[in-house]
Amino acid sequence: MNVAPSPVALAEVLARGDVWRGDTLASLPAAAIPSGHAELDAELPGGGWPRGNLVELLVDRGGLGEMSLLLPALARLSQAGGWLALVAPPWQPHAPAWAAAGVALERLVVVDAGRQAAWCVEQLLASGGFAGVLAWPAVDLDARALRRLQVAAESRPVFACLWRSTAAAHSPSPAPLRIALAAGGGGLSVGILKRRGRPAARPLFLSIPRPGRTNLVVAGPAFSPAAARSAALAALA
Amino acid sequence: MVAGQKLSTALGLQPGLAVGERDPVLECKALESLACWAGRFTPTVSLAPPAGLLLEIGGCLRLFGGAAAIVDAVNAGCAEQAYSVAWAAAPTPLGARWLAQAGTRALHPTPAAMQTALAGLACSVPDWPPEAVARLAACGLQRLGDLAQVPAAGLRRRIGNGPVDDLLRARGELADPQLPFVFPERFACDLELPARVEHAEALAFAGQRLFAALAGWLQVRQQLVRACSLHLTHDDGSASVLPLRLAEASADEARLLRLLREHLGRLQLAAPVAALRLVADDTCARPGASIALFAQPSAGEGAAACLERLRARLGEDAVRTLAWQPDHRPECATRMAEPAADSAAFPPSTASDAGSRPFWLLDTPQPLAERAGGPHWHGPLQLLTRGERLESGWWDGGEAGAAGDVRRDYFVARNPQGQWAWIFRDAQGWFLHGLFA
Repeated sequence: MNVAPSPVALAEVLARGDVWRGDTLASLPAAAIPSGHAELDAELPGGGWPRGNLVELLVDRGGLGEMSLLLPALARLSQAGGWLALVAPPWQPHAPAWAAAGVALERLVVVDAGRQAAWCVEQLLASGGFAGVLAWPAVDLDARALRRLQVAAESRPVFACLWRSTAAAHSPSPAPLRIALAAGGGGLSVGILKRRGRPAARPLFLSIPRPGRTNLVVAGPAFSPAAARSAALAALA
Repeated sequence: MVAGQKLSTALGLQPGLAVGERDPVLECKALESLACWAGRFTPTVSLAPPAGLLLEIGGCLRLFGGAAAIVDAVNAGCAEQAYSVAWAAAPTPLGARWLAQAGTRALHPTPAAMQTALAGLACSVPDWPPEAVARLAACGLQRLGDLAQVPAAGLRRRIGNGPVDDLLRARGELADPQLPFVFPERFACDLELPARVEHAEALAFAGQRLFAALAGWLQVRQQLVRACSLHLTHDDGSASVLPLRLAEASADEARLLRLLREHLGRLQLAAPVAALRLVADDTCARPGASIALFAQPSAGEGAAACLERLRARLGEDAVRTLAWQPDHRPECATRMAEPAADSAAFPPSTASDAGSRPFWLLDTPQPLAERAGGPHWHGPLQLLTRGERLESGWWDGGEAGAAGDVRRDYFVARNPQGQWAWIFRDAQGWFLHGLFA
């Protein structure tokens, strides 16, 4: 009698973190960190910032709101007792603002790495003792260095975030999540260049809290003329 | 070359031979350092000078998984420290010593096995007086087993009480209490280097023996080390100290060695090193901890050990945590603090009324150009808030590096690129001071 090999259920294969359908987003085995922005969570695989995966943020100028985008997640990690590390930040962190955002300052390490930023990040990721590692390498890292960082981060519950310039958008990278940030529409334009799942169609506009405009702290889709026109037409009809 | 040759003969055979004077004091120190190291296997270690070490392993068999496992670990450890070992394991201390001196290199777990092995040994026991050994040979008694056949009283009369008592002790028929090695209260260990060392990295290998001894001592005294220092004696008589400070107390030899290597990588030796001395400066009691019942996935070394390594390579000042300081002047509100492993010792940081304080602050305010009556930074800056006046600071006005007396009006501003800046205006004009990122 011929015994057929037991078929592996398709659902079992799809339950793996590294296999996903082309038209949906991958689910992550490790719990993702909610980003604090509902529309962004809906677009990220796993429903938030991934742990144990390198995240690349491509941004050319500081001061667009890129830290405010990350802070809900960082504050959550810090409140849970995790250590955060800033490797070679481009400016000095201002303690009162970080404390007000909910980050425990005594567990926020600032590393003045100089030219050894890549080595520092690898050590910090591999140590397993850090919940969040944010790095601003002074020189752009090559694919090999990025691959090393991704390997160091894998299987560790760490939120690893690497700042690069938008010039790197067209070069391939082993980071599973790549996001380009730009100012747009009075808020922050978040373009997901790469993610595990179907490609993102168009950038997301997030309204993030800004100083002096405390009435607009509610996150929501940015005002779009097309949507407003269709709403107006619907009201007329 | 063989033992007993004349020095001139040996030099003739091997012209490059390095000859050293035998120093009993150094030998004794080396034996004590080895005894400290052996503290990792058993708390009951006894010195058997000049070159013997007795480890009571009967109580530790279960912990290490059998006598063979302990012997393997001891041999591996000795080989790592470049000691050659002749060993034996037996139920009595003297029996084990004699069997080791005879070079058996074998386990004799039961008294019967040991008796058999002892019976085969020659009667020329090194500790016995030569005339007693000679008399036994004259009587035709070649092996220790032969001595058991002759009447004890007659033997006592002929070779004296000492050797006969030794024989009884070795067989386990007479109690043989050993004086245990007293592990010193404070750890300090010397090492004379066989050759002058000129490169700092080469010291890491020599330091291995010292750190091995330290780890054994920490184990047996149930201590953790927080700070230790390596004292280097140079060949010109001068001395220097290499302090090693750990972020959290530890007894891990590998971690100490990693730290030592990082420090040595940055050390410039003023002169070749002749001797090393390791001193444990700061130790604390080891807290007891349960080990996990099931195997845990490797979690990495943890935050404290990682920070320690970064600090060793980048310098103490390069790795800092933030602290908040109550001062209204922005450049004074942030203080850099030492990273502490037990952050619970700190009071929780209290959030200030920093509703509109930027995440990033420039090291020094950057002067901004003024065009058409307004500040420019990558385009004209649009002021979004009313001015916030921060002023005064006369109390540190004259001090070097202090912010001093300031009188500034701060604004939140935005440029056409969408960058949010924190700028101020004072008597000198417009300045960029921070970024709302």
